[in-house]
Amino acid sequence: MTYVHGKHAAPKTFLSKYVFSFDHKVIAKQFLWYGIFFLFVGGLMAIMIRWTQAYPGEAFPVIGSFLFPETGGVIPPDTYSMLFTLHGTIMIFYAITPILIGAFGNFCIPLMIGARDMAFPLLNMLSFHIAAVSGIILLASLFFPLGGAAGGWTSYPTLSTLIGSPGSGQTLWCLAIFVLGVSSTMGAVNYITTVISFRAPGMGYFDMPLTVWGLWLTAILNAIFLPVLGAGVMLLIFDRVFGTTFFLAGAAATSGTGDPILFQHVFWIFGHPEVYILILPAWGIVSDILSFFARKPAFGAKSTALAMTTISILSTVVYGHHMFTTQMSPLLTQTFMTLTMTISIPSAVLFANWLGTLYKGSIRFDTPMLFSLGVVFVFGLGGLTGLYLGTVSTDLYLHDTYFVVGHFHYTMAASVLLGGFGATYFWFPKMFGRMMDEKLGKIHFWATMLGLNGIFFGMMVMGFAGMHRRLYNPFVYEHLEKLLPISTFVTWSAILMGFAQIPFVINCVISLRSKKQAPDNPWNVGTLEWTIPSPPIHYNFEEIPTVKCGPHEFGNPNLPEGKDFQYQTEDLVKA
Amino acid sequence: MMTKTAENIQQKEASQLGFYIALVSWGMLFAALFLSYALYRFQNTQWPPMGFEKVSLLWPCLSTGLIALSSFTIHKYQVAFHSIDRKNAKVFLGSTLFLGFAFLVTQKLLWLSLENSGLVTSSGIFASILHGFTWIHAGHVVLGLAGLIYLLTTLKSDHLGHVRFENRVENIIKFWHFLGIIWGLMFVVLFLI
Repeated sequence: MTYVHGKHAAPKTFLSKYVFSFDHKVIAKQFLWYGIFFLFVGGLMAIMIRWTQAYPGEAFPVIGSFLFPETGGVIPPDTYSMLFTLHGTIMIFYAITPILIGAFGNFCIPLMIGARDMAFPLLNMLSFHIAAVSGIILLASLFFPLGGAAGGWTSYPTLSTLIGSPGSGQTLWCLAIFVLGVSSTMGAVNYITTVISFRAPGMGYFDMPLTVWGLWLTAILNAIFLPVLGAGVMLLIFDRVFGTTFFLAGAAATSGTGDPILFQHVFWIFGHPEVYILILPAWGIVSDILSFFARKPAFGAKSTALAMTTISILSTVVYGHHMFTTQMSPLLTQTFMTLTMTISIPSAVLFANWLGTLYKGSIRFDTPMLFSLGVVFVFGLGGLTGLYLGTVSTDLYLHDTYFVVGHFHYTMAASVLLGGFGATYFWFPKMFGRMMDEKLGKIHFWATMLGLNGIFFGMMVMGFAGMHRRLYNPFVYEHLEKLLPISTFVTWSAILMGFAQIPFVINCVISLRSKKQAPDNPWNVGTLEWTIPSPPIHYNFEEIPTVKCGPHEFGNPNLPEGKDFQYQTEDLVKA
Repeated sequence: MMTKTAENIQQKEASQLGFYIALVSWGMLFAALFLSYALYRFQNTQWPPMGFEKVSLLWPCLSTGLIALSSFTIHKYQVAFHSIDRKNAKVFLGSTLFLGFAFLVTQKLLWLSLENSGLVTSSGIFASILHGFTWIHAGHVVLGLAGLIYLLTTLKSDHLGHVRFENRVENIIKFWHFLGIIWGLMFVVLFLI
């Protein structure tokens, strides 16, 4: 088979170049800015949530009186519910997903496998525009009477039915999620096909960088499980708009019963794989970056890929651990608990491989490496605290407390966010042809790391002490009064984390405006994207490269003096 | 007909693979619906629930016949497309379109008959399933019909058998067969058992 993949003339007009571009690199940037915009919106919501938790009844500073004039700037209880609902929704579906999967998936996959573009460039373009429509629907829902959705990011019935959430906000939330699901499924079909069909000659599956492995497995999970959520929200829309009774039980349904718990099943059949959908790209990126900056081959790279595959498979059969408190039969709870615990095994392999990669490495503490080491730390904490929630007996106590909130933020937010920042600092020179400033990057890392650990560890402490999540003012309860100082500490940690993003924004602006061109391979890494100019030319490769060795060929003693890595296009140097 | 280049072959393989993956995704959407249906059936000791009778099979049977026949005619169109037989391509694509629209008409008549027999959307889970699931399928049939209408462009004499249209023809036809299979499953589980 000759690998040729179509080549067309570069677009000339502004619209065809930046808006309706078929180029995976441009679409990646579109997703990046989209994700960063929503990261800001979701982050602002987080600060508002935290303010309410530290200073209940006090006006939100600066913009409070503008946003909530009726209450003198105090965030009202119904708005508080909308804030935590949309914070979760936005961060998961509109910030992390577009950045990790949309931006880095689009940018990295073709470049790292030696392809000229995605398998279906038109589908790729449509995927972004459909995601944009979804974002508009979600934001527009805030301006409808009774405001946006307020049933939590999980939107469990009956909270999300017309009984729990009158008004159009929840309906538009469902519609936005459905539309976004269509967009992500289109992306997933593209990613899977591209990896299978357009790898450069000589590149076997185990010659792919682990970043591509992570993104590929994510796409597989997305293609299989997003439609399940799609079915759930579609039925919820029917219940809300056409009066069906899929999720209404008892008196609410006149004859024959619907089942609110069914939505939980459907949601978590998708929702648990979703956790891995979000984190697999970060795992892949970190696995590569640790090797690149430790200047050592990734320890057990094949077993890392297989561990990620095993975790992806197991993630499909553990969803019941989210529902231990729904009167599930003990046989089922124990089955789900055992299956959940089984995930520890490949996770431990993955983690041990990371440590193995670092062991005796010539570690360079550049900003991408710092963020990757941050992922190792926070994912360790997040993973270990998951054991308490996967165990039935402890989960019954910890369910729906801040312990859960702290845990899933460590795994899904902290790990993924740090992984996303690491990827941004690492591929920024390739994306934009400019280096980011190292000093600002390091300030960004340490301030973010300090802030996020203060937030999420504090949350776990509060949750362990019995603080329930989603309460507007928990401190009206006597047994929670004493937790106000910790809650205030968490809030100030969140404010610190918010301010910690300023150096990143400054760094982005300064770097993009800088006239100094980044080198083609500033990190001395051998994967295919570093064999071409920064930023890459239209259609990436003049000639499709032939792959001759793996992506982590570092420290080979047979390499000539002064060189410690080799490109994937070079023959493996032998004695 | 143009000679196939290596690029065409590679793109065809990718197109086929991509569409099979897309069908898996669509399949999961309907699988989630069938799973929900199974749970409702297990939870309700009596089915149809008390106060309801089984639905008349007239319209569901007619729908099944129409969509099965359309799978046959679209297959004949596929053969005609590849053998550049314009006359048969016209006849069979036209027949498929007719059968597709007729399927939608029978679906509308099914919904009307359900409502006439008291099975309005808000009358409980039995009616919700019958309406909701068939709506979702019919929505996909509309999408399929849009694809079939697009295929009319292949009837131009120099388009038949052309490599440029090959992948699209194959994928739209696969989708149409897929809709037939899903309807077959719905017919059995919603109306027969």
